[in-house]
Order: sequence, then C-alpha cells, then structure tokens
Amino acid sequence: MADTAQPKPMDAHVSATRRDFLQIAATAVTGIGAAIAAWPLIDSMNAARDTLAAGAPLDVDLSHLQPGQQIIVLWRSKPIFVVNRTAPDLKTLQEPTVLDRLRDPDSTVLQQPAYAQNWHRSIKPEYLVLVGICTHLGCIPEFTPQPGGTLGPDWPGGYFCPCHGSRYDLSGRVFQGVPAPYNLPVPPYNFISNTVIRIGENPAGSTFDLNEIEQL
Amino acid sequence: MSKPVLWLACLALLALGAAPVRAQEAAPIPKASWSFSGPFGTFDRAAAQRGFQVYEEVCSHCHSMNLLHYGDLVGIGYTEDEVKAIAATKQVTDGPNDQGEMYQRPGRPSDAFVAPFPNEKAARAALNGALPPDLSLIIKARADSSPIKGLSGGADYVYALLQGFKEPPAGFKMSANMNYNIYFPGNQIAMPQPLAGEDVKYADGTKATLPQEAHDVATFLTWASEPTMEERKFTGAKVLIFLLVMTGILYAAKRQIWADVH
Amino acid sequence: MSAPANQSQSKIVRWIDHRLPVFTFMQHELYDYPTPRNLSYWWNFGSLSGIMLVIMIVTGIFLAMQYTPNATMAFDSVERIMRDVNFGWLMRYIHMNGASFFFMVVYIHLFRGLYYGSYKEPRELLWMLGVIILLLMMATAFMGYVLPWGQMSFWGATVITNLFSALPVIGPKIVAWLWGGFAVGNPTLNRFFSLHYLLPFVIVGVVGLHLIALHQHGSNNPLGIDRKGPQDSIPFHPYYTIKDMFGLGVFLIIYAAFVFYMPNALGDTQNYVQANPLQTPPEIVPEWYFLPFYAILRSVPDILFIPAKLAGVLCLFGAIGVLFFLPWLDTSRVRSARFRPVYKWVFWLLVIDVLVLGYVGANRPEGWFIVAGRIATLYYFIHFIILFPVIGWLERPLPLPTSISAAVTRKGGARLAGASTPMEKP
Repeated sequence: MADTAQPKPMDAHVSATRRDFLQIAATAVTGIGAAIAAWPLIDSMNAARDTLAAGAPLDVDLSHLQPGQQIIVLWRSKPIFVVNRTAPDLKTLQEPTVLDRLRDPDSTVLQQPAYAQNWHRSIKPEYLVLVGICTHLGCIPEFTPQPGGTLGPDWPGGYFCPCHGSRYDLSGRVFQGVPAPYNLPVPPYNFISNTVIRIGENPAGSTFDLNEIEQL
Repeated sequence: MSKPVLWLACLALLALGAAPVRAQEAAPIPKASWSFSGPFGTFDRAAAQRGFQVYEEVCSHCHSMNLLHYGDLVGIGYTEDEVKAIAATKQVTDGPNDQGEMYQRPGRPSDAFVAPFPNEKAARAALNGALPPDLSLIIKARADSSPIKGLSGGADYVYALLQGFKEPPAGFKMSANMNYNIYFPGNQIAMPQPLAGEDVKYADGTKATLPQEAHDVATFLTWASEPTMEERKFTGAKVLIFLLVMTGILYAAKRQIWADVH
Repeated sequence: MSAPANQSQSKIVRWIDHRLPVFTFMQHELYDYPTPRNLSYWWNFGSLSGIMLVIMIVTGIFLAMQYTPNATMAFDSVERIMRDVNFGWLMRYIHMNGASFFFMVVYIHLFRGLYYGSYKEPRELLWMLGVIILLLMMATAFMGYVLPWGQMSFWGATVITNLFSALPVIGPKIVAWLWGGFAVGNPTLNRFFSLHYLLPFVIVGVVGLHLIALHQHGSNNPLGIDRKGPQDSIPFHPYYTIKDMFGLGVFLIIYAAFVFYMPNALGDTQNYVQANPLQTPPEIVPEWYFLPFYAILRSVPDILFIPAKLAGVLCLFGAIGVLFFLPWLDTSRVRSARFRPVYKWVFWLLVIDVLVLGYVGANRPEGWFIVAGRIATLYYFIHFIILFPVIGWLERPLPLPTSISAAVTRKGGARLAGASTPMEKP
C-alpha cells in the first residue's frame, strides 16, 4: 500500500468491523440490484402476450374427413394429425401380435391425457388426434395406413418416420427396436359437437396441459 | 446556486427547452384533471369502459385501432368471458378456406380490433378524401401541451378538441368539407363534430353529457396508448426506493473509505 | 489490501493467471492503479459514460430479439415490444432515454476536459480518441432513431442523408448509394439496423484504446498539475471504485425518474405517428443532443463561392472536426482553468453559446433565430480557432501549487492552490 497517504491513527478493531459491514452492505446491495436488473431482460425472452394469445384453441370440422383419411392442422405451431380410422384399422390395434411388438402398448408413460389412455388413445375410437412430431428427434412421421408394402409383410399400418426409421401404429404407439423412445403425444382436445373437435381444450371435468407429458 | 447545480440546470434547459415553437392560431389547450396523472395515477376503469363504449358506438365507424386486440380489454376491467362476448359480436375476415376464399367469422380475443375500412384508399373514398388517423397512439402523438409530453397532455388535447367545435368567426373563410374547431392547429379539421352529448346510453347509467363522453373516451384512448402505464409507475416506485437505499449505503461506504484521505 | 495475483492464495487464480494474466492485469490497472487524490465528482463522468455504453448495448441486444427491420412492420414491432413483450416497455424506455443520458454524460465529460485542460500534453491522443467516440455515438444515435420508423425517423433520415447531396459532383450519387433506392425506404432501414448493431462494438474498441491511452499517464486532476510522487496518489480501488459506484447511484436515480415517470419528455411526439413519405410533419427537429449542430448546419449563409447548403455541411463537420485540433489550438502552458483567470470566464461563454445554438436549432429558422444562429455559430468557431490560441498567449496564469498533496493537505482538505509558491510548468 505504498501509494496511499498516511492513514490517521484510529481504533483499528472497531472501525475495521464497521468498515467491513458497510463494504459488505455496499457490495451486497449492488449485487442485488444487478440481479434485479437482469430479470426483466431474461423474462423478455419468454413468450410475449400476443404469442400466448395465438395459442388459443383451434376448431376442426370432421364432417368432410373420409374414413382412412388424415388431415394435418397447426396448433401452437405444432402439426396435429387428425385421422378417421376404419373398422379394420381399429381391429388391428387390438391384435396381440401387434401389441407384442410395441414398446408401451398400454400407454403407461404420460404422453396423453387421461381420457386418451386406452387402446385407441382417443375420446371416440374412430377419430385419432395426435401431435405429429416424432419423439426421437422431431421430424414429422409419414402417414402409412396400408398394411404391408415397402415396410415389410408384417407392417400393420401406422406411421413411418423417414428421418431415422421410427415406426408407430395407428394409435401412435411406438414399436420396439426403433430409435423413438415414446408414443406420439395426444394433445388436449374436446368434441364440441359430433363433427367438430376443438384442439387445445379439454372436455368438461378434465385438466390436461401438453407441458405435462414426458417428452414431445 | 452552486456550480454543479448551475451546470445541470443548463443541460436540463437544453434538453427540455427543445420543444419547438409552433406557429398556430389554435387556442391553448386547457388542462383537465385525469385519474392517471402524476406518479401515482391509475386508469379509472369505469371511465375507460364507458370510453370504450363511446369508441365502439361512434368513433369506430371511421377510426381504426389496429394495435389493440380484444383480449387486451381485460386491462380496463372486463372479465375473460365479457371479452370473449365482445369479440364474438364482431365479424372478422379470416381465411383462405379450403376453397381458397376469404370468409367472415365471429371474432376471438386474439383478433385485432376490426377496422372500419380495409385500407387507406377505401377510407378516403368514403370520406371526401380525408383519412381518419388510427387512434391506438393518438394520445402520445398529441402530448405536446404537457411540458414533459406526458399522457395527460394528449388527453387534454383530445378532451378539448371534442368540445371545441364552434361556428367559425365572421369573415373566416372555411374550405370545402372542413369544420371549425378552436383547438385544432389551423382551426379547420376534416372531422365533423362527432359527439354532441347523449350520443350513447351508458351501460352503467352515467349521464352521457358531452364533457362526460369526451372525458371517458379520452381516458379510454389514454389507456389504449399505453396499457402498461400503471405497471410502469408502480415498478418505478419500487426501483426508486431501492436506488435511494442503495445510494445511501454507497454514500456511507464512500465516506467511510475516504475518511483517511480527507 | 490484496497480494499480487501471482502470489495469491488460490491455486485456481495462480493457474489461470500464469496462462492468461487477467488477475495481474486487474490488480495493476484497477486495484493498484495510482490516481490523483484530488479528483472531484466531475471525474465520475468517464465511468458513467462507460456504464451507459453497456446499458445501451445490453438493452439493444434484447430489443433486437423482438424488433423487425422492415418498413411495413418496424413501427408495429416496436409497439408490440411496448405492449406484448414481457418488460418490453421497460427495455424500450431505458434504451430510448439512455441515448439522451449517454449524450448528457458524454457532453459533461467533454466539457470537463475543456475546462481542466485534459486534452493537453501528454493526453492529445486520449482526447482525439474521445472525439472519435463522440462521432461514432452520433452516427449510432442517428441510425437508431430511424429504426422505429415514425414520422421523425423517416423525415430526419431524409433531411440528414440529403446533406450529402451538397457535395459537388459526387453528392447525389452518394445519397442514392446511402439510400439504396430513390428515397429513404426499406433498404435504408435494413442497412441502418445492421450498422446500428455494429457501431456500438466499434465504440467498445475505441473505448478500449481510450482507456489504454488514459492509463499511460493516468488521469488529469482539477489542479491540472502532474502527480509528483506517491503522496499525490491513491489507489483506484477502493477509493474511486466506491466513489464511482456512489456517483452511479445518484445518476441512476435521475435516469430512473425519467424512464419511469417522464419517459417521453426528451422525445418527439411526432414519432408516435407511423412514417408517411407523402406528408412532412410541420417541424422536423432532431433529438436535443443534435440541436447545436443542427443550428450550425442551418445558420451558414452563402460564403464566397460556396453555396449555403455545402457551407452548412462543411461547418457541421467542421464543428466536430475543430475539436480534434484543440491540443494544438490551445497555446496555454497551464492546463486547468482554475489557474487561468481569462479562460475561466471565456469557457462559460462557450457553454452559453452551445445552449443558444441548441435553442436556435429547436426552432424554425425565421426572424431573430436566424441572426442568433449566425452569431452563435460564428462565436463557436471564433472560440476555438481564435480565442484558444490568443488567450493562451496573452493570459497571465495564476501561480500553480507545488504539488497536489501540498495543495490538498495544506488547507486541511480544501482544494485551493498554495499562493506563495513559485509558478511551475505543468
């Protein structure tokens, strides 16, 4: 400390603790201020009000959806598959030979609301609603409902993801031996009439948020 | 006065005195009283809702408010359900549908306020070439009568303007399709007098005199110009208190550390 | 205080410092760095400027995450920030008022330098780097103001870019090149956004050079005399770190008062109207920190064979350019105005002159504003080009104290000069 001027003699012990307290207080209050100042900047990166408002529920009219046909709509910027499954499709979903090849045939992992935790993973068996994002690395799986074909003679019909070869059945349940770990998620949805579903809204008495699932 | 204070006063003069002198014959804008004035001001929600009613029933026939969405109305005290109901009364253009056509559907909270005209040219065609300005920021854009360009300056202007329609004085030459207003710069405004009192029947039963309507719509428009004003002032109080405490502690620490030098 | 970093207790500190001497650097340049013991609060404004630069960059980066630099969407994207983005209104108002406070702080810092002779030997380059920083700040602020795409953004951009058309022969080509089109438009906005993001980091670089130059010889001080030895200095830490922090606290209180309670006081209400290329607003006024230069630009009439427009542009750049030459224009051998009885008052004439220029710049160029503007512009150049050298030659400075510590300790802390010591060269 050769550069400092001569300090006046003082009671070293008392002033040392008082000086420490003030300096600690000064440092602490400045640090708190800096942390408080950082929060608005970080929070500004969270979804803005208009972004959240745009995530409002979406109504889909099913009256023109033919049996065996799939449409894709966007809800919260995610592709949503809506399928009108035929009777043969629904029979295949319950066959033991298919169920044996699935990783999670009973949908025990939380990838769907309680009202879709069944073999058809939906409210009404004919209509399937899925989030069309492969649980492996996020590609959109292709709708391949026809059995057999290029996917092999024991392909029962379902989804095939072109990126890394993951396969799902016509309820979105993932097969064993493929890269994807989980069944395709089911979003919250509700029949507001016999032919119109509202994606993003639960039936009365249920609560389910897509953020609750294991993994998108 | 000490030198540093003189210094800072000079700089303040330079900064704040920069308001340009406008050459205008318009009368000076009288000051009115507003619930949102001052550092502790808040929006009178009842007045803002009445003002919204005036906007809806009168002003919205010519003036758009493109920056507002129906969902924002919760900010003046409407519930989510009331907001959904208000939005649902509007017809909003959406589309294209699967046939490739645009169609009308009932509004949702996420929709922007429906504009009276689809574009500028349509507005001018319908209104003798005049373009009614969008009202989303009108209060901030007209705030010059306040020395700090605060919201009350703009509200004073709108409040005065709406009550400023008079007969032109003898000898004053009016241009075609213009109206005389004592507060508008140049005294000639394309907008005909929009309010005369009793133009709406207030849902809460308040008597709809002209000053009442003008005051309420100015309150609504002020909220629309800056919906975050209350958050701003409230956060400001917390920040200033913290800064005062922090600066006090730092000052004490400074004196302590410098004691052996002085 | 703390031991040198290479003898630090912490093994981690020693490991890092041996490979990249950041801790030794901090120790030397921040902690031990000898600083005159008599600095007044006018010396806080350098660190305040640095902090404002950081605040502007940080808020600017987060604003840029939400802003859209397209002419059809820019205005609405700013209003989206104000209404929908979490704390968007806060970041915008901090950034908007921050520009004003940044200039306020830098102008005070600059005038401090003028008063105390901080631009004189050996700090000429330090000063010139500061002028470069000021120029870069002006360019950055100008382009930043265009981004919200309000009426003032658009028309201010039109007026200022049109300045370059005054240059003979190549002028109009340069203007069209700046615009990227036939007028200020979307290409202009996009490139201004890119450059507005870039220039602050160039400023950071020049500030780095500014600080290196500063540390070569250390700070000037109110007496304007060199440090003679250790008795004249105190280490920067903790004395000036705490003093700077306290000054920052006071400054933030004033800044917060504007941001939270009068956020639009320093702005132009016309900029809350979206840009309309077909309608010029009744007054085109730049932000207050440009007003003196704006006044100079408009005041200059035809000079000899140079048309008024070109003369105005040359005087505008000359007004800043003349600052570069101050170290040589000033012939006084004494630094601080405290010991310069004539210059001390003439300095205040400059302050008044700049305020007059600012007031003239805010108003229409008519009536007595034109006369006042011309006189004030003339005085501005006379002050630097004529008065600086002449006063330096003719003035009899007061006797300087023998040393800083002598001046400080003799009167028990009061910062007065010792009267009877012989005059010393600074």
